[in-house]
Amino acid sequence: MASVTLSKIKKNYTKDVCVIKGVDLEIQDGEFVVFVGPSGCGKSTLLRMIAGLEDITEGELRIGDVVANDLHASKRGIAMVFQSYALYPHMSVYENMAFALKLAGTDKAEIDQRVKSAAEVLQMTHLLDRKPKALSGGQRQRVAIGRAIVRQPKVFLFDEPLSNLDASLRLQMRVELSKLHQELKTTMIYVTHDQVEAMTLADRIVVFNAGIIQQVGSPLEMYENPSNLFVAGFLGSPKMNLLEADLVAIETGSAHVRLPEGIQIRAAVNASTCKVGDKVTIGIRPEHMQLSTVDAVNAVPARVDLVEHLGDIVLAYIQVKGINEILCMKLPAESDVIKFGDSIHVVFPEKNCLLFDAMGIALKRV
Amino acid sequence: MAMGKQLQTVLTLSGQYAGLITFGIFTTFPFIWALSVALSGDPSNTWLFPRSFIPTDVSLMWFKRVFDEMPFMTYMKNSTLMTIESILGVLIVSILAGYPLARLKFPGRNFIFVSILATMMLPSEVAIIPNFITLKHMGLLDTHLGAIIPNFAAAFGIFLMKQAFEAVPQDLVDAARVDGATEMQILWRVMVPVTGPSIAALGIFSLVNAWNDYIWPSIVISSRDKLPLAVGVFNDLTGPFATSYSMVMAAIIMTVIPVLIFFAFTQRFFIGGMDGAVK
Repeated sequence: MASVTLSKIKKNYTKDVCVIKGVDLEIQDGEFVVFVGPSGCGKSTLLRMIAGLEDITEGELRIGDVVANDLHASKRGIAMVFQSYALYPHMSVYENMAFALKLAGTDKAEIDQRVKSAAEVLQMTHLLDRKPKALSGGQRQRVAIGRAIVRQPKVFLFDEPLSNLDASLRLQMRVELSKLHQELKTTMIYVTHDQVEAMTLADRIVVFNAGIIQQVGSPLEMYENPSNLFVAGFLGSPKMNLLEADLVAIETGSAHVRLPEGIQIRAAVNASTCKVGDKVTIGIRPEHMQLSTVDAVNAVPARVDLVEHLGDIVLAYIQVKGINEILCMKLPAESDVIKFGDSIHVVFPEKNCLLFDAMGIALKRV
Repeated sequence: MAMGKQLQTVLTLSGQYAGLITFGIFTTFPFIWALSVALSGDPSNTWLFPRSFIPTDVSLMWFKRVFDEMPFMTYMKNSTLMTIESILGVLIVSILAGYPLARLKFPGRNFIFVSILATMMLPSEVAIIPNFITLKHMGLLDTHLGAIIPNFAAAFGIFLMKQAFEAVPQDLVDAARVDGATEMQILWRVMVPVTGPSIAALGIFSLVNAWNDYIWPSIVISSRDKLPLAVGVFNDLTGPFATSYSMVMAAIIMTVIPVLIFFAFTQRFFIGGMDGAVK
């Protein structure tokens, strides 16, 4: 087991193409860290740099206490699980799992013991003689994980391992990966574009965009206190409602903003870094918006544009006069009273509103 | 309306089959004619068309005479040895050249590949004199090695293997790297097994070319006991001292049949390999 430290890591493909623009990150020993971000943000490239499959243009990578920049991939104490599984098609499951150990000159008896032990953990002892083409997607993924486990690495690297699986299998494998981490307690770095995987698996999430870390934190922390507009919009499904507004008043522990048509909303934030008249963005998550009555304080009139019944929840898309964006509300399943075309009133609870300055940086919540 | 569509289908199918049959006859008639002449104990109808396509007085005497009047088994043994050595040489060189061209980055890679490809544009006769002089200096004239070595670095084989290796997913190579494989181990333990069909196809191509090779072996090899089948049969049974066309045909049939049998058993690799290698 080992920690992973990235100091000022940069990656250029050519002089003009810089895909990783200076990443500093410390991953503790035994931690499960998820790199998440949109396609092309550099998360897989960073993972491959840690693995030794891509050169590091600048900066220092440490795995444990060892500077690993120039170490061959096989000497870094890492094992990797690929999105496409990357199983050797001409080898059986046993041979796939034993391959690395054979290359390292490990004793036959020890290879046998390690392979069978990993197969037991992953419940695939009955599959050891099969070739990859005779396995299902989930089974292949387990073989790929088993191939990593037998190497007893210091760090596991996962590159979108569940992307090729169907929804129910993905859920099942997610649970298994979580249990595996609890059992092995090895450092794991996991790359995904799926925020649900990130939220459910991670001890800490690292959100990337355009080669830069946007925020690092625990899933709940990132969800409740996103540091900028990008993180706020990226995490959460449906995504956070973001509205442009003007800052009209600043109080201790509170800020007043005005939306078009004179709608005023309060947010429980420290706006001391801003001044009245600044352009800001107010954000509120769909589950925090509440249905209200016409005479409630700060009730905002709206019209229901669309209602989606998902079984356990209802998603209502509403239009507020003067606001171009359609807002999304998440309501309990019992809220099937509202329907298309209804006129309703909603409130934006002060404690649930976030405020972002003109640069998109979140103001501290109080 | 339905009749018209049916008629059209019948006419279309007839046209397609007619074309295929014509092409089939066009490609196979030399072999059929040779077989018929070789099996004809009475050669009087040899030059009569289409009578010569049916054996007259069926007999195996010409096949027996081939064994009596020339060292057929010696030539067959030479052909077999040279073909096996040729296949091994072509495969080894093509694999070792194709892998770095497909997977490794180094200065001049594209230039080297284009240069290799450019040799495919030249007629083979252009290389005869330079290769002959080279072999003379190397002391390889009148040897089997001299007769096959220029074929080892054939551009076609290198190109085929390069394409085959490029089709292997990068993840597989990365997985092998992470597992600790060196480049040679990646090549021989991962890439070669995965590209088996392409290698088999190249092997079969090389076999057919090596077995049927005539011009270069006839230039390089002068000793009768070292000649391969194609050259030996032509030298012994044709020219001013030729005795019988029937014997020539019998020798030709016996030269072709081993390759035909081999091809019949291995054609699925031939076609499968091309599907994988040529995009």
